[in-house]
Amino acid sequence: MIKILAACGAGVNSSHQIKDALEKEMGNRGYEVKADAVMVKDINEDMLKNYDIFTPIAKTDLGFEPSIPVVDAGPILYRMPAMAKPVYDAVEKIIKEKGLS
Amino acid sequence: MNMTSTTQDSLFSPEAVYISSATSQDELFSEIAAKLLARDFVKPAFLDNLMQREKDYPTGVDMSVVSADYPNIAIPHTEGEFVNVRKIVPIKLLTPIDFGNMIDPSQKFPVSFLFMILNNDPEGQANVLAQIMDFLTTTNHNQLLAFFKSKDTNAVYQFLNSNFNK
Repeated sequence: MIKILAACGAGVNSSHQIKDALEKEMGNRGYEVKADAVMVKDINEDMLKNYDIFTPIAKTDLGFEPSIPVVDAGPILYRMPAMAKPVYDAVEKIIKEKGLS
Repeated sequence: MNMTSTTQDSLFSPEAVYISSATSQDELFSEIAAKLLARDFVKPAFLDNLMQREKDYPTGVDMSVVSADYPNIAIPHTEGEFVNVRKIVPIKLLTPIDFGNMIDPSQKFPVSFLFMILNNDPEGQANVLAQIMDFLTTTNHNQLLAFFKSKDTNAVYQFLNSNFNK
C-alpha cells in the first residue's frame, strides 16, 4: 500500500479533491494507493514519516524540510487531463524509482 | 429558505447570490460574511478565519488556462467548523479584486467572480470544488462568458441551477 498525504489550507476542499483524484488515477495505473487529506498547519515531521509521498496544492513552507518526496499537485484541481497528467506522471515516477508498493 | 429538493438546488440558495461593488478583499469579505451570518449560514468567527486563510493560502484560480477570455475566479473558504451549511455562494464583482493564485501563491491576478464554498461536510458527498471546476471547464463557452458578465442575481442563480453538475 502506497501512502500519500494531500494538504491544503483548510483541509476541506482542495486536499480532498487531490486525495480522490490520486487514489483513482493511481488505481487506474495499477497501484494500490491510500491518500489522506489534512490541513497544512497540522503537518509535522512525525506525521510525514507515515507517508511515502507528500502532495500539497502548491509549494508549501512547513517550517522544516520534508523527509519524503514532494509533488505539487495543484494542477489536478482543474480536472483537465492535460493539466493533471504531469502531476500523475511525477507521482508514478517516484513510485517506480523508490520501488513503492 | 428551505425551498429546494434536488442535489444541485441544495448547493445554491437564491437569496445567497450576490453582486458586490467592494474594491478590496477585506471590504468584500466583511460585506458577504455579514450577510451570511444574518442567514445563519456561518458562525461569527467565519469572517476572521476567511480573511486569515485567504492571506495564508490564497484561492485564486487562473482561468486563462481554461480559456483566454474567461475572467479569473476565486474559491474562498474556511475550515468546516466555521460554517453551518454545505453551499456555494456565487458573488459577481463589479470591480476586479486581486487574489493570490491557489497553485502558485507568489502570483497575483484580478478576480471577477467568486464561488465561496461553505462546506461543513467535506467527506459526505461529491467534492464541491470538483463540481465547480467541472462546471467551469465543461459549460458552453459563450454561455459561460455571458454568465460571468451577468449582473442579475436571479439569472446567475438560474444558470447555475440549470448547468451545474451536468
